[in-house]
Amino acid sequence: MALLQLTNVTGGYTRKPVIKDLTFSIEQGELVGLIGLNGAGKSTTIKHIIGTLLPQKGEIRLDGVTLNEDIDQYRSSFSYIPETPVLYDELTLKEHLELTAMAYNIDEKTLAQRSEQLLKEFRMEKRLNWFPSHFSKGMRQKVMIMCAFLVNPKLYIIDEPFVGLDPLGIQSLLDQMDEKKKDGASILMSTHILSTAEKHCDRIILLHEGQVRAQGTMNDLRRSFNMPNATLDDLYIAMTKEQDNE
Amino acid sequence: MNNLQEVWSKRFNHYMTEVQKYMRFVFTGHLALVLVFVIGAVGYQYSEWLKVVSDTFPAEWIVAIVAGVILALSRPVTLLRQPDQVYLLPLESSMMRYFKKALTYTFWSQLGLPAVVYIAAIPLLNTVTELSSTQIWIGIIFILLLKYVNVQIEFNYRYSNRGANTVVDRIVRAVLSILTIYFVLNWNIALAVILIVLLIAYNTALQKKVKTLPIPYEHFVNLEQNRMMGFYRFANYFTDVPHLTGSIRRRGWLNFVYNLVPFGKKNTQSYLVFRTFIRTDDHFYLWVRLTAIIGVVALIVNIPIVTWVITGALAFATTLQLKYALLSSSDFRMDRLYPVKENQRKDAVQKLLRLFMLVQAFIVLFCSIGQPLFFVPAIIVLVLSEITFKFSKDPSNNDFSY
Repeated sequence: MALLQLTNVTGGYTRKPVIKDLTFSIEQGELVGLIGLNGAGKSTTIKHIIGTLLPQKGEIRLDGVTLNEDIDQYRSSFSYIPETPVLYDELTLKEHLELTAMAYNIDEKTLAQRSEQLLKEFRMEKRLNWFPSHFSKGMRQKVMIMCAFLVNPKLYIIDEPFVGLDPLGIQSLLDQMDEKKKDGASILMSTHILSTAEKHCDRIILLHEGQVRAQGTMNDLRRSFNMPNATLDDLYIAMTKEQDNE
Repeated sequence: MNNLQEVWSKRFNHYMTEVQKYMRFVFTGHLALVLVFVIGAVGYQYSEWLKVVSDTFPAEWIVAIVAGVILALSRPVTLLRQPDQVYLLPLESSMMRYFKKALTYTFWSQLGLPAVVYIAAIPLLNTVTELSSTQIWIGIIFILLLKYVNVQIEFNYRYSNRGANTVVDRIVRAVLSILTIYFVLNWNIALAVILIVLLIAYNTALQKKVKTLPIPYEHFVNLEQNRMMGFYRFANYFTDVPHLTGSIRRRGWLNFVYNLVPFGKKNTQSYLVFRTFIRTDDHFYLWVRLTAIIGVVALIVNIPIVTWVITGALAFATTLQLKYALLSSSDFRMDRLYPVKENQRKDAVQKLLRLFMLVQAFIVLFCSIGQPLFFVPAIIVLVLSEITFKFSKDPSNNDFSY
């Protein structure tokens, strides 16, 4: 059984749908890239999966349940890193980690272990008692990443993870993702950095105007576009051109 | 260039609607009640004091200093916005027309305060000084003149110094304004006129410098943003102003309060709410201010029924406003995704309010000691707060989209 299964999901902010009839799934231990132009519906898709938007039609199952069936289990099964960091101005870095641990029922000992390792990995040990107003965009992003990885869920949902991170930060994030994958977790990541997506993703979902244009491994995609040896950049451009000609 | 005047009038209309929108909430709130009470009490005390005030009371100096300092605070209202630094750049040379309109508005909108202060002082001047009524009223004309020159100078000074060292200019103008009013009140009109001429010369010198310099957009936009933020902060005490983030302070001396919230999943929202309340200036000072007012009222008002009514109104206001501030939010926060019970936030806010209203009740109790039925105000605080929380609308936003 797929860990995450979207079946014919249609939805958006108003009655006019942004995403139409989306169907795709993510298996356990898979890293899937969600790729598309600005406005293709990547963030809207993610908002439906995390449950801040509810589908007008269709169904989203995470680890066997929908949000309505078991909201606690559904929400415990994923952690989310938004495109723009959303932090509490009134909480220090340490308190962000503590709050997250409390919400996801992680005991204090595990919290101490995991946060020590994460703080070291992202080089934030010295900023434990700082408020976010003193953080740069990249550091804010790191706080979000650390909170997400602290939870250790079955699914990670990451929206544009590399924007604002320095090269070391990007490497740390990729390392963390690899490690979690090895432990059996799944990752859904939306991004514009196609070379990184091509290198690290097991499968790619190409989203265009709210619909799945193509999905599969790089080889599947090359076959469906009839472009052997193409890079993801080539495929991406081919997709947009093809749509323009229609 | 007609369209710059249009730009001004459009902005002005927009600004007025914005101000009116929020002022409605301000004057229907508890402030109106407190104001009526305070103005009444102060007016009564003032008239009583006038009966006994001694002839040697330095009324001229006091009126001159208060009015002079207020006159010197003439921050220009330009209504400039961030994008203007880019879009209005080609209109640089005709911008003076825009600023002329802006300064006219600044003058009229800021004239009220010094005028009211002066007019309120007229009974005092009549009692203490030898001035005739006509002479006192001529003082108003000088207030008008001084305000006009002060507004012009402050703008030109900020313009030519790019917003640096404004304190120096303000002190100079305050001193000159104080002396002018003092001379008028001693009926030394010649000296007063000389000082005004001096101020005008100061302004002319600045104007010459202004003509050679580009508009310091950065400074004026900043000034404007701070002014609007100040207004929104103020309005936020009475209603929910969207997207307003208050300033944060650690207030480490209150850390012990967090011990009331032990580590654990069921305390997730309490963990957050306690810190949000204590560290956000807007929330915390709201409580401090209202508690202080209740305390002072309990301490000085000797008519029990008045104390009770005011205590009740303010306890109601504290609870309602804090409930609103902590429960309503249209912005996305991570805790909306937490796998915790939906009503945990509301319970957490209730727990916090119970604690801080209990503290408020204790303070009132302490301040009422010695009054007849001294325990009643404290009970009113607790009961009214509980009722208010229970029966007021739940402002939390259950709409998931953000």
